[in-house]
Amino acid sequence: MHSIDYDIVIIGCGPAGAITAREAAQNGLKVLLVDKRQELGAPIQCSGALSANALEDCGVDASTEFVQEAVYGFSVYNEIGAETNLDYRELKPEKYGTGLGQKPLGYVVDRRRFDRYLVTLAERAGAEVWLKTEGLGYKPLDDGTCEVYLRKFNKEISIRTRVLVGADGLQSQVGKWAGLQTHIKMTELASCLQFVVDKVDTNGLLEIITGHEWAPGGYAWVFPKGHGYAEIGLGVIRTMTKENAQWHLDHFIKNSFLKERLQHARILEIQGGGVPLAAPLRTQYATNLILVGDAARHVNPITGGGLHTALTGGMIAGNFLAGLIHADQPATAENLKGYQENWLDKLGNKMWQLYHTKKEIFETKDIEQRNRMLYDTMADYFNPLSSYKKV
Amino acid sequence: MKSNTPVLFQIGWNACINCGACVAVCPQDAGFISAFDTIAVNTQCDIACMVCEDICPVSTITHTQNNEFYEEGL
Ligand SMILES: Cc1cc2nc3c(=O)[nH]c(=O)nc-3n(C[C@H](O)[C@H](O)[C@H](O)COP(=O)(O)OP(=O)(O)OC[C@H]3O[C@@H](n4cnc5c(N)ncnc54)[C@H](O)[C@@H]3O)c2cc1C
Ligand code: SF4
Repeated sequence: MHSIDYDIVIIGCGPAGAITAREAAQNGLKVLLVDKRQELGAPIQCSGALSANALEDCGVDASTEFVQEAVYGFSVYNEIGAETNLDYRELKPEKYGTGLGQKPLGYVVDRRRFDRYLVTLAERAGAEVWLKTEGLGYKPLDDGTCEVYLRKFNKEISIRTRVLVGADGLQSQVGKWAGLQTHIKMTELASCLQFVVDKVDTNGLLEIITGHEWAPGGYAWVFPKGHGYAEIGLGVIRTMTKENAQWHLDHFIKNSFLKERLQHARILEIQGGGVPLAAPLRTQYATNLILVGDAARHVNPITGGGLHTALTGGMIAGNFLAGLIHADQPATAENLKGYQENWLDKLGNKMWQLYHTKKEIFETKDIEQRNRMLYDTMADYFNPLSSYKKV
Repeated sequence: MKSNTPVLFQIGWNACINCGACVAVCPQDAGFISAFDTIAVNTQCDIACMVCEDICPVSTITHTQNNEFYEEGL
């Protein structure tokens, strides 16, 4: 066997890639983590809401370096403004609040700072990080290793490694290199736009606005963003409306039951992206290759949240690969299937259930009934007594 | 908006927010991308399903049919 350069190479320094790298490096693997960007997390394509549990689950402190604002619950609205208020400061004051012995339920994070913070953790654990380095392709070799082709500051480099991890996000190409079916259907990709704004008051809650009128196929949101800023955004399924996300966001701000509160909004940042409200990929591995995070469509199909699942997926991937490589097992597709099995066990099966719930809601033809189903599901999902197993 | 003639996509870069949604929904094989997280702009698309144009949150993708494109001498 030729000598290898790194045990694993990870393409993409988002939350999924960074945590995979940290776990693998902590467990003694030689890790290379690359990203094509010059500044991680930018341009922002995320609202940054994540639960305190998500950070705890992967052992990351809620550092002031990236937290924009602590949040304490949810407020879910139906299409005409009836509200289910789920303020955990009132529902569970023994645990949540700003006082002594109390804590936040979650946070809104700045993805630029969050992604950089996570990459720092990976580096400190021993992973090597290259920015301005784009993944171009890979080729499995006869000896069981593979070659990964990169371009770093215009220089083409080939690296020999055991496993390539595709953590390259929504626009993932790595899965396609291996011929995996990664394409997301138009009916399952929410087209999102959001504005970070000044002059909109918030109250430490994540506000979720349902209703076909405002966000067909998805929902709208108002999140606190720290320092008195807020974020207004929405996601729509384009097969359910003639208009684009930009039109819907404008319509929501000008005409919804929140219009008085939103009328003085001053736009400070414009962000957007796609959120897969899809089932996780059926096959997330191939010879010498696994996928994690958005690249594997590890996104909660009810909430559209992908940070918790990216972080947890990274934990699972990093630990699995460390186990495999320390056991001197070759990175065959058959062996790497174990990663997907671990993932299904810890996370994936719950996500499949959420996917079926989501499908049932949005396949309901009657708009009023669909509105009611989405509102009830959202209100139930975020309730502390909910039967949903949160992911 | 289905078209079966091959097309070339154009992106109004002024409105593009580099969000990558068009790439995620694109059924092409690997590599049908630009340097700015969008679908390819200088490669002919034979599928021409136009879902990229629909998913774009700011509707900044347009296309020309490829034969027209050459006739215009562009
Ligand atoms: C509008 C919007 C709002 C959202 N809000 C929330 C929210 O509030 N809460 C939540 O939990 N989730 C939210 N999400 C989802 C969340 O942003 C994603 O699920 C999360 O970013 C996935 O992390 P990741 O590490 O898998 O991928 P990403 O964060 O997308 O990281 C992928 C990285 O790979 C790099 N890359 C890609 N291709 C290559 C290549 N060929 N070579 C080198 N590098 C490459 C990219 O530059 C990028 O840095 C939102 C998404 C959108 C679009
Ligand atoms: S979907 Fe539109 S805004 Fe997003 S990257 Fe593609 S062209 Fe740009």
